[in-house]
Amino acid sequence: MSREPFPFPWEYSFPPFFTRQTNLTTHHAQLVKWSSLILSYCRHHRLFKLSLSPSSTSSSTTTGPPSSVDNPQPSPGADELFYNRRLDKRLSIADIKETIDFMRKDGRAEYVGGAGGDVVWIYWRTPEEWATMIEEWVDGTGQKGTVLTLYELTEGDGTRGAEFHGLDPELLQKALGVLVKRGKAQIFGQEDSQGVKFF
Amino acid sequence: MSRKGVGLAAFDRSRITSAQYASHGSSLRTSDAAALETQLAVFRSLLQQFAQTHAKDIRSNPSFRAQFARMCAAIGVDPLAASSTREGGGSIWAQLLGRSVNDFYFELAVKVVEVCGATRGENGGLIEVRKVREAIMKSRMEGAPDVTEDDILRAVGTLKPLGSSYSVIKVGSKPYIRSVPKELNTDQSAVLEAVQVLGYVSVSMLMVNLKWTRPRAQTAVDDLLGEGMLWVDKQCPEWEYWSPGFMLSGSDAVPQG
Repeated sequence: MSREPFPFPWEYSFPPFFTRQTNLTTHHAQLVKWSSLILSYCRHHRLFKLSLSPSSTSSSTTTGPPSSVDNPQPSPGADELFYNRRLDKRLSIADIKETIDFMRKDGRAEYVGGAGGDVVWIYWRTPEEWATMIEEWVDGTGQKGTVLTLYELTEGDGTRGAEFHGLDPELLQKALGVLVKRGKAQIFGQEDSQGVKFF
Repeated sequence: MSRKGVGLAAFDRSRITSAQYASHGSSLRTSDAAALETQLAVFRSLLQQFAQTHAKDIRSNPSFRAQFARMCAAIGVDPLAASSTREGGGSIWAQLLGRSVNDFYFELAVKVVEVCGATRGENGGLIEVRKVREAIMKSRMEGAPDVTEDDILRAVGTLKPLGSSYSVIKVGSKPYIRSVPKELNTDQSAVLEAVQVLGYVSVSMLMVNLKWTRPRAQTAVDDLLGEGMLWVDKQCPEWEYWSPGFMLSGSDAVPQG
């Protein structure tokens, strides 16, 4: 999937943006800018998860195989996002984690497998928002009462064009979990052949 | 002439004299005021004529508008101030041109406040007028009348009666809008001026170029850092202090002189 390069905002070429600011107000502005950058970056590349530590490949489900080391165009992910090659400035891992914590308070990020992990869900749409989107799609296509496999939902031809097409399977589980809680869906079946019924 | 008064009559006389002085003074004042009033009336009617003839230009042409406002300012008339309320209605602009011009500046003032408020976290409440203009132009609809920096300065002026802390200060040659009640001392202004050259300064740059001692340079940048008016970049051999207004216009923008 070749996409246009992400149009980085001006602050990405502002060298101090990569240093934790000492002034509290400034630091808050910095956190706000970083979190909106992370969200729009992940939305642009449709990254659902971000691996924080440097030099590891991104754990996105939609990107191809990790690019070779001397590839001038880094594959989208934390490596490109937190490291501005042109300026040779990098946001430190501690500062990244602080930003993630800031985003967690807004419900826009969550550590995969509990706090302290290395991989983070980036919720440019929260599971609730995905759930609503799926529910609307089910409503709009008149599929209440029908049974769909999870694979059909995100990879099938029927959802091509819907925004949740290509959704990370784990995130889909979370979203469907929300619908189950709302009493709008029921999940059944085995590990890799799960189905869902909508009410 | 001045015969030394004897007795109680002397007190009366001096009282009479001072009363006469006072009455003469006040008559002089009223005649002066009357003369001034005639002049003002003549001037106002001329201004009115001028404004009516060129009303369309004033409304649509920003540079003409600026010239007109400058002319008013030069002769000591603030066209936006509601100075002529006694005559029953609004400022000269409002009277002569309908509400639109007046509202133009008030609307603009609201936008300026919005931009300043939205960016205060990142720039500590000090923003270049040019940046404000860019931000406002970006948010305007296609085909909306052009806004000049001059218009923005005038719009900031309209905020004054509100007792707000908005004011225009000059750093180097560039006007800035300050939206926090904070005075800059001369060292801080000097640093901000130096920052305009490259977008950043370091302590040793200040020491070399301004012939400051290290503590003096360090104090000045630390103060500005503390105010949130500069950002620090620690990922270089010597810490660099950057102005947040730098490069607001785009990722690939180069500093403009």
